[in-house]
Amino acid sequence: MHRTRIKLEAVAFTLPSLLLTLALGIYPIFWAIRYMFYEYAGYGTPKFVGLYNFERLYHDERFWNAVTNTLVYAGGKLLVTLPLSLLLAVLLNRRMRGAGLFKTIFFMPTVLSASVMSIVFYVIFNSYNGMLNQLLQQIGLSRGVEWLGANYAMLTMILIAIWGAVGNYMLLFLAGLQGIPRDIYESASIDGARPVQQFFYITIPMLGPVLQMVMLLAITVSLKGYESIMVLTQGGPFGKTDVMFLYVYKMFFPVASTTAEVQQYGYGSAVGFAAALLIGAVTLIYFYASKKLNSLY
Amino acid sequence: MARKWLGIALTGILASSLAACGGNNEGNASPSASSAPSGTGAASSSPAASPAASQAEPVKLNFWTPDRGATDHIKAEIARYNETNKDNIQVEVNIMAENYDQQLDIAFASNQAPDIVRVNGLPSLSVFVKKGYLAPLDDLLTPDMKERFGSLLREGVNQIGGKTYTLPNYGTTQRLIYNVELFEKAGIKEPPKTLQEMIDVAKKLTAAGKADGAYGIAGNLKSTGSGLRFADPIGMLSGMGSSGYDYKKGAFDFAQLKPIIEAYRQMKLDGSFIPGVEQLDIDPLRAQFAEGKIGMYVSTASEPLVYKNQFPAKIKWASALPPTIDGQQRGIVPVGNAGIFIGLSPKSEHKEEAWKFIEWMYSDEVLKSYQEDGVGLSVVPSVIAKAGKPEINGIDGFMPTKFDAIIPPVPIIAIEGMGYQEALIKYILVGGDLDAVIKDLNARYNAALDKAKASGEVKAEPMPDFDLSQLQGTLAK
Repeated sequence: MHRTRIKLEAVAFTLPSLLLTLALGIYPIFWAIRYMFYEYAGYGTPKFVGLYNFERLYHDERFWNAVTNTLVYAGGKLLVTLPLSLLLAVLLNRRMRGAGLFKTIFFMPTVLSASVMSIVFYVIFNSYNGMLNQLLQQIGLSRGVEWLGANYAMLTMILIAIWGAVGNYMLLFLAGLQGIPRDIYESASIDGARPVQQFFYITIPMLGPVLQMVMLLAITVSLKGYESIMVLTQGGPFGKTDVMFLYVYKMFFPVASTTAEVQQYGYGSAVGFAAALLIGAVTLIYFYASKKLNSLY
Repeated sequence: MARKWLGIALTGILASSLAACGGNNEGNASPSASSAPSGTGAASSSPAASPAASQAEPVKLNFWTPDRGATDHIKAEIARYNETNKDNIQVEVNIMAENYDQQLDIAFASNQAPDIVRVNGLPSLSVFVKKGYLAPLDDLLTPDMKERFGSLLREGVNQIGGKTYTLPNYGTTQRLIYNVELFEKAGIKEPPKTLQEMIDVAKKLTAAGKADGAYGIAGNLKSTGSGLRFADPIGMLSGMGSSGYDYKKGAFDFAQLKPIIEAYRQMKLDGSFIPGVEQLDIDPLRAQFAEGKIGMYVSTASEPLVYKNQFPAKIKWASALPPTIDGQQRGIVPVGNAGIFIGLSPKSEHKEEAWKFIEWMYSDEVLKSYQEDGVGLSVVPSVIAKAGKPEINGIDGFMPTKFDAIIPPVPIIAIEGMGYQEALIKYILVGGDLDAVIKDLNARYNAALDKAKASGEVKAEPMPDFDLSQLQGTLAK
């Protein structure tokens, strides 16, 4: 009787999230998998086209351009974000004055709306009268850089992504660092280990599981990110900042109703599937690499 | 202990207030979740308390529109209707900020569709009809309405498959908008009439204004949907088709646009464009024009209201018919969104009441107010005869002339690869082989057109006798 009640309670507590997961997580996946083989504009009868969407994908220069851009965007973001957030976490983990204030400042971008901040960044980066260019001109460093132009738009997007992510990962690293017993560092100091040696021989190995988790999170999030790009450049100029999921978004929601573009649910689903496979492949490579990392330490 | 709880409470308040502003996706990003249109960002006008409420529950109708530029006007009209109608009807209007089409998709899919739907563009008309968002109005039209709107009903403009789904109200004429003060400073007497003059004028304006940060020409080239808004007014007044579509051939031929695109490329090479033009949306462009930093650009009759309310112009400005390729006006300037306004949802539970409201909205009295308040310029003959000119600086140049006309629709097709606006804007900004770009566009657009025709989605027959000059004088003499 008691056991049955526990089972009922377990089901009752699990059911709401299970239903939500099924409706909002699992069902759309199967929906998209089905429509990958159809042409469908959101009305009328979907037309079965077999593997045509994948054949189109293979020849679609815009998709491969978006893949390249995604790798550059995610790579650029990760290369700076992870070391920087770890460095900040190590610094703020020391008992220093104002650490709390700095933690709040660095974490703030994580809780701000990406869309709203993108508009603020437009005011900063726009080349004609943006704040950054005005500053550069005033101190005589430059006559103006087209930060959102063809040459620098991706760099600008990466900088904004770094700004938005550092605080979040810093906090996760901090949580990991606080789990490392202080007496290990004290023993190391007594044995004559310098701070750099302590970092590489104590902090990094002891942080191993957290580091792996944060890197996994960072990789998948970076490969999927597109919100600030959508607001700031819409993937432009002419595809220079188009990333995979922005491309998928545009297939499902054409940017402007005044264009003679219609929704392409079938092809969008195929692109989404291919993008998910690519992210899955990158994640697998990471898993393999992290296993190697485990064996090193 | 008390401080701890106070801290937790404050943290909770801070978190919930920030969460309400939206969320960065770091750590739990899900494109599907974050991209779903959330909320309407809508300006909502609640129905006023009905005087009849004590007698019977009023019939509540929902009216959705994305016309946020006309928010004040629409709210005032709806409030007037709610106060004065004798049918115990209360209308609630939702003025959408963004993603109107997607909001409608969700509303119809979840049986929360509005009773009255604003049709916000020709592509939307066709799509809304196919999706079942609009009911045919033919059986509901009164003889008076048939008489007033009859001459403006056309297939693809407000009719699909011979059935009428919406009626016209106002349209937006298109003009070359120019900074009179900068023209005077550069010693230019009148706006350019040919593309070559346009190139020369842009260069002179830049030479005269550059020291003060003013440049000759601009365009909202960030937008891949409307960045090429100058092409149709210039091209169609020169006598060519719309959006690269050749009505005579019943096919796309982007070579028509070549002289215009080359002229804009030349202005880019001359340094006549305002810096950062590739990232310029229409509103930032307007903001710069209002400050006197732009010499000229092509846009719609929305601008006078924008320079009155949104970005009060600090300069003297005016508008003129756009230039043509060689100075000859062989065609017309298309009037934007002229054949469409509102329609009835087939899912409305109060169709009779919704139609009463729609009928009221299409009365001459209400349509007149749209023109007089400067929302747009009426295209309905009975309204044009009665409506006064809006009292807005700069509107004079936008009043319909014999060169303004409603154009036949361009087929709506699903293309593969880069859209024509993006491809041609790319050429304007970075150059390349324009002939190759045009060849590629023609191939892809016509392949998509053939496919749509074969599936029966689109009818695009050649019209060998089509002549844009015959549309001259159809709206005004």
